[in-house]
Amino acid sequence: MKIAISADGADLNARVAQRFGTSKYLVVIDLDSGDFEAVPNPAASGQRGAGMQAVVLAISKDVKAVLTGYCGPAAQNQLTSNGIEVISGLSGTVEELVERYKKGVLQKQAETEAEHGAKGRRIDRVILLHAAKSSARQFASLLPILISVVLLIGLFNAFVSKEFLASVFSGNPVLDTLWGACFGSILAGNPINSYVIGGELLKYGVSLFAVTALIITWVTVGLVQLPAEIAALGGKFALVRNAVSFVLFIAVAILTVVVFNLITG
Amino acid sequence: VSLLKQDKQQKTVGKTRAVRTFLFPALVLITYGILFAIMPGKTSIALKSSGSIFLKILMPLGLVFVVMLVLNLFLKPAQIVKFLGSGAGIKGTVLSATAGIISAGPIYAWYPLLKDLRQKGAANSFPAIFLGNRAVKPFLLPVMISYFGWIYVVVLTVFTILGSIVVGYLVGALVKVKDVLPSHHSSAGE
Repeated sequence: MKIAISADGADLNARVAQRFGTSKYLVVIDLDSGDFEAVPNPAASGQRGAGMQAVVLAISKDVKAVLTGYCGPAAQNQLTSNGIEVISGLSGTVEELVERYKKGVLQKQAETEAEHGAKGRRIDRVILLHAAKSSARQFASLLPILISVVLLIGLFNAFVSKEFLASVFSGNPVLDTLWGACFGSILAGNPINSYVIGGELLKYGVSLFAVTALIITWVTVGLVQLPAEIAALGGKFALVRNAVSFVLFIAVAILTVVVFNLITG
Repeated sequence: VSLLKQDKQQKTVGKTRAVRTFLFPALVLITYGILFAIMPGKTSIALKSSGSIFLKILMPLGLVFVVMLVLNLFLKPAQIVKFLGSGAGIKGTVLSATAGIISAGPIYAWYPLLKDLRQKGAANSFPAIFLGNRAVKPFLLPVMISYFGWIYVVVLTVFTILGSIVVGYLVGALVKVKDVLPSHHSSAGE
């Protein structure tokens, strides 16, 4: 059985870290063999989502318990829902904590705390607050671009003639779909923008084929993100994935509209 | 030293992202300013037109927030991540697709995780399935339905999921795991 201790250093004499999410190391100890491994925490610098990265790290190491100074409610919730026991409020060195854990002292302390039901109720409220905060942040982050896109569509409505659009989207389903896919592959960002742009384009008489291709490729093909995708997943993977997606999702767009037309008559 | 380097890199990425987020709104506002000075009449029409689009998406946007809140409360992407690396065959496919659908936030936040999965030996098809399924956004459905109707949204969603899986398997067949070893090697120094 393995346990993880958030620590300030990479050995057994290191002190337990005050915060789980931003600790420098997670020292993973195999209680049966006595072997240990100090894994650097990629989120030690404390950027947004640090807690979640440390959670993923703990889960990937297949530990049964996490021992730490303090663990935020969201991270604690994720850990416990993955079957990992969290014991917090601890201090001392890694070695001391391992000994106390082996003797069962820490587990008893955790059980006593859990019996105080008030703590559980408080955490529920904290989790709700956390979810509300992160939803507000997610929501707020999509607004600047969305508002700008809507303002731009306003300009488009006032200044660009229908004749101009008709010259780009000729009414030929195959060509229009190809154009839609090209725009969708170049443009990027939150897909909500593609729905608004697509919806407004429909009013201009642009075919649903083109709009569907635009919406699908907006996310699935990303020329803007290509350098980042190449850096993370390799050049061949990124290029093949984008090329295959471009071709296949044009087919998906055509199929979607054909089936939609069949259903709605 | 590597942690310091990583910290510095993350700060640079954060700054670039902030510039990218506000560059576009700033350009749009500047354009409005210039056009208003030259053609106030037409620019007012543009503003009114934008206003009516806002009114149209206001209600669906409210719903977007509610759905986001519910998803944040009950979905646990980390739980899925636990199985992503180990899952194979149909199980891995379903998990990758589900993780793609429920994953929120900008794609840049997810690349490190996909890279990690890859280095643990996950098949190439799974990151591809994940990336394709990011096109399915449950919390944005209210806006999509308000524009296109629910029948279209259902058909599009089903075909997007199926299409993503096909793309995933094609990428898995075309790109062998050995092809990505160089990227593994270069990342070791980070």
